[in-house]
Amino acid sequence: MLNCDQYLMPETLEEALAQWVGAPEGSRLLAGGTDILPWAREGRAGHMHLPAIIDISRVKELHGYDVVDGRVRLGANLVFQRFLTSESLRHHLPCMPHCAVWFADDQIREQATLVGNIVNASPAADGTPAIFAMNGTVEIARLDGGSVARRSVAIGDFITGPGGTTLEAGEILTAVACDSMAGYGGAFEKVGQRRSLVISVVCAVGLVKLSPDKKTFADVRLAMGGIGPVPIRLDAVEAFLKGQPVSRKSILAAVKTAGDLVRSRTRREYRSEVIRGFIERAVEDALADCGVALLPPEMKEAVHVVT
Amino acid sequence: MSSLDMELTVNGRAVKRPAKARMRLLDFLRDELNLTGTKEGCGAGECGTCSVFVDGKLVKSCLMPAAKANGATIETVEGLAKRGGLTYLQQAFHKTGASQCGYCIPGMVMAATGALRENPHAGLDEIKERLGGNICRCTGYSKIFEAVELARDVMNGALPVTALDGPGAGASYIGNNVRRLDAPSKVTGALKYAGDMVMPGMLHMQVLRSPVAHALIKSIDISEAEAMPGVECVITADDVPGEDGFGVFVHDQPIMARGRVRYVGEAIAAVAAVDVETAMAALGKIKVEYENLPAVFDAEAAMASGAPVLHDYAPDNIVKHIPIRKGDVEAGFADAELVVEQSYETQPVEHAYLEPEAGLAYVDHDGVVTVISPSQNITHHRHMLAKIIDRPINKVRFIMSPVGGGFGGKEDMIYQGMLALAAMKSGLPVRLVFTREESIISTAKRHPARITYKMGLKNDGRITAVEFRMISDGGAYGLSTEGVMRKAAILSCGPYDIANVKIDTHGVYTNNTPSGAFRTFGAMQAQFATESHLDICAGKLGLDPFEIRRVNMMRSGASTHTKQKLGSVSLGLALEAAEKASGWESGPSVARGGVRGDLGRAGNREPCTLGARIRTSHDVDTKEDIA
Ligand SMILES: Cc1cc2nc3c(=O)[nH]c(=O)nc-3n(C[C@H](O)[C@H](O)[C@H](O)COP(=O)(O)OP(=O)(O)OC[C@H]3O[C@@H](n4cnc5c(N)ncnc54)[C@H](O)[C@@H]3O)c2cc1C
Ligand code: FES
Ligand code: FES
Repeated sequence: MLNCDQYLMPETLEEALAQWVGAPEGSRLLAGGTDILPWAREGRAGHMHLPAIIDISRVKELHGYDVVDGRVRLGANLVFQRFLTSESLRHHLPCMPHCAVWFADDQIREQATLVGNIVNASPAADGTPAIFAMNGTVEIARLDGGSVARRSVAIGDFITGPGGTTLEAGEILTAVACDSMAGYGGAFEKVGQRRSLVISVVCAVGLVKLSPDKKTFADVRLAMGGIGPVPIRLDAVEAFLKGQPVSRKSILAAVKTAGDLVRSRTRREYRSEVIRGFIERAVEDALADCGVALLPPEMKEAVHVVT
Repeated sequence: MSSLDMELTVNGRAVKRPAKARMRLLDFLRDELNLTGTKEGCGAGECGTCSVFVDGKLVKSCLMPAAKANGATIETVEGLAKRGGLTYLQQAFHKTGASQCGYCIPGMVMAATGALRENPHAGLDEIKERLGGNICRCTGYSKIFEAVELARDVMNGALPVTALDGPGAGASYIGNNVRRLDAPSKVTGALKYAGDMVMPGMLHMQVLRSPVAHALIKSIDISEAEAMPGVECVITADDVPGEDGFGVFVHDQPIMARGRVRYVGEAIAAVAAVDVETAMAALGKIKVEYENLPAVFDAEAAMASGAPVLHDYAPDNIVKHIPIRKGDVEAGFADAELVVEQSYETQPVEHAYLEPEAGLAYVDHDGVVTVISPSQNITHHRHMLAKIIDRPINKVRFIMSPVGGGFGGKEDMIYQGMLALAAMKSGLPVRLVFTREESIISTAKRHPARITYKMGLKNDGRITAVEFRMISDGGAYGLSTEGVMRKAAILSCGPYDIANVKIDTHGVYTNNTPSGAFRTFGAMQAQFATESHLDICAGKLGLDPFEIRRVNMMRSGASTHTKQKLGSVSLGLALEAAEKASGWESGPSVARGGVRGDLGRAGNREPCTLGARIRTSHDVDTKEDIA
């Protein structure tokens, strides 16, 4: 049970920042609440009585998104379902519909924010690797004197470990900005114990841009989650594939450049096998999203099992 | 404690009233507005029994602080149809028989309504995906999907409204689809399960559970908890007036731990207070002193000499040993051309019925101690409780509330005794509703089993002898273990005619969560071993798996290992049907692996993929570049 002395619902960023900086020790910010409410249950943190909960979901400055100069800026209140329902976001962030459709379920996605997912900093978070792959930065605000001071941090520097970020006391994350990936094909791979409502054991995101003749890889973005304390970008694989001809051979050769990526302490062998398959699949699914299918769908499972 | 003035619209009506800060939208709807069609199956976003529309978006109300709904327009299952009516979707659920225990059904109806509102032409894959956040443990989903597709077609005019009419029983109930009488109450959320029931002056119970697996209880100090304002009573084993002990066979489990605790999660004490928070706070004030005892968590270790003993009456920790002997196994093995030995292990399994345990007890005007609960065994419970509370049987009454899924897991009188004691001690009605976590930690599981199998066979597949030994972890108390061991022994070797068998099943006490009844009652564990073993033997003999079963199957007139004469046996027909339906390619299954030709046929189950709604329809050119 999550109880509190005060449940606050500020409507402006200044108001939210002022309440947050003045909140007693132990207070929490709450966006969708889909991480915090289950956290305050038996077997996890247990029943919680917090001094204050500051619910930022009605702060207008944190709503919506915009696209400026090739960067997409997603407000902190943006929920995962919008990656499926917004035409424009689908166009600019082609990996996100795939990520979203595997994320929780339709109902939770109406509540769960991308920013909550990032700040929660679970090694299994599905949203964070995608933002990483798109050169994401987080925008942070705090009160400095009477006015709002802002800073921004690259996602790779923001997340420091399980549950750990470089967010300071009194700060609120206001937005996430990332490259517009319009023209890329996107993919998201995820494995857990079941399909709906499942936390990832491993997840991977892939983005592929083809040369105009569709014969070579013009750009590739790959990131993975669930295999260590923080998500990782697969720089070596990305660099290898750039300029390579589009073929299974290129992809299989690229996989070999990945090296040992597993940092998790558990299920290491399983995870490294999944990584291999997921690199292949993420690239191939992103290719298919660009209109180039290397494998007929019915062969996919079989090929990735036996290679 | 802060509260919040809520103003919102619920099912078309303006609502204005305060909500406590701890309330989720789910609590506000259920506890403040008595809209109990919205259920709490898990409280953690996993099950979907709590789905409601908030400003037109379907959400899980257990994950939404009530404050978030302030000013919003809410639609619950009660508001979907005009009072007394059913929406097309609800009619379709009724028609296809989509509701069984019904506990998931209001949430399912909401999710299905949401799916068709989002996409009135959603195909089956998309419907499945959009219902992905709602769990049903009864139906296997087929009837639910059938209902959604039916409603979709009626709503789109592809089918006439009369497609929703039921066929009725006609002259006979046999061979006709008969509509369930209780379906309308389930699809509208009108049906009241125990956790939905309230009585004036009703108290709320919370239970203190053991954090240790095996310990002596040196002392329990309830004085501070009892003195708290709002607390009406605190009960412990000392409040039991009669002969304490329940169980399906052996009555070895006290209502609450009596001097000794035997598993993590066992009830130690219970508080009845004016509200759940007060009861919960009071639990924190109860002081228990434990003196740890050595514990045993493995059934075989518990059978070894020198193992910690759980119950004085069973110094060997054996709850029940069932032996069956038939023929001469030694001669059978001597006669065999192949002997295969293998061991199998199965895990404990939680029933995970969507309705967590709940009950409401009161003492009526005639002094009759009454317990309302989804008990699967009320008559037995009534007899046991009469002894425990030392009242004549006519002063004890059990009322069976609708069971929101049981699967055997609600056969045990695990909490009804506490409710009765608290109602007797406080003189007020008392309700207890388990959280999902509490249900998982404290109630029975399917028996995990370790089975060693030795089978002798002729080269043509005929089984000459079987030695079957099963060791099953019964956990800390007996519950249904005796019956489960008996059933496991009777059905151990499956429906096969075997001349020589030696069967032993052992149910063993350990300090694990008790094991109890669960669908198939012991047969599943044995069948897993038997059928796996037959496949392995078929592989070794180069036989088709159907063939080895046909060679050995019981036929009409056969008698079982426990000498039951079988008039007619339909196993041959079942094998034939399965072989045909699966398009089985005959031959030993081990030899072909991925090259067999009967995979990926129409009608085979396909792997689940998500993303039906975003799968691009543009043409993809397939390159045959498979390096
Ligand atoms: C049933 C279920 C299924 C789930 N499935 C998935 C899944 O498939 N994949 C996955 O990755 N996750 C999953 N989750 C986890 C969760 O839904 C996500 O992490 C979600 O994105 C969290 O967002 P939120 O808005 O609900 O966060 P909240 O619970 O509101 O907050 C999470 C954390 O972020 C902080 N926070 C939120 N907003 C800000 C801000 N603007 N500035 C600073 N701090 C902030 C909060 O203080 C808190 O510490 C699931 C959860 C449930 C209950
Ligand atoms: S999802 Fe809300 S009660 Fe289970
Ligand atoms: S009918 Fe779905 S859980 Fe029982």
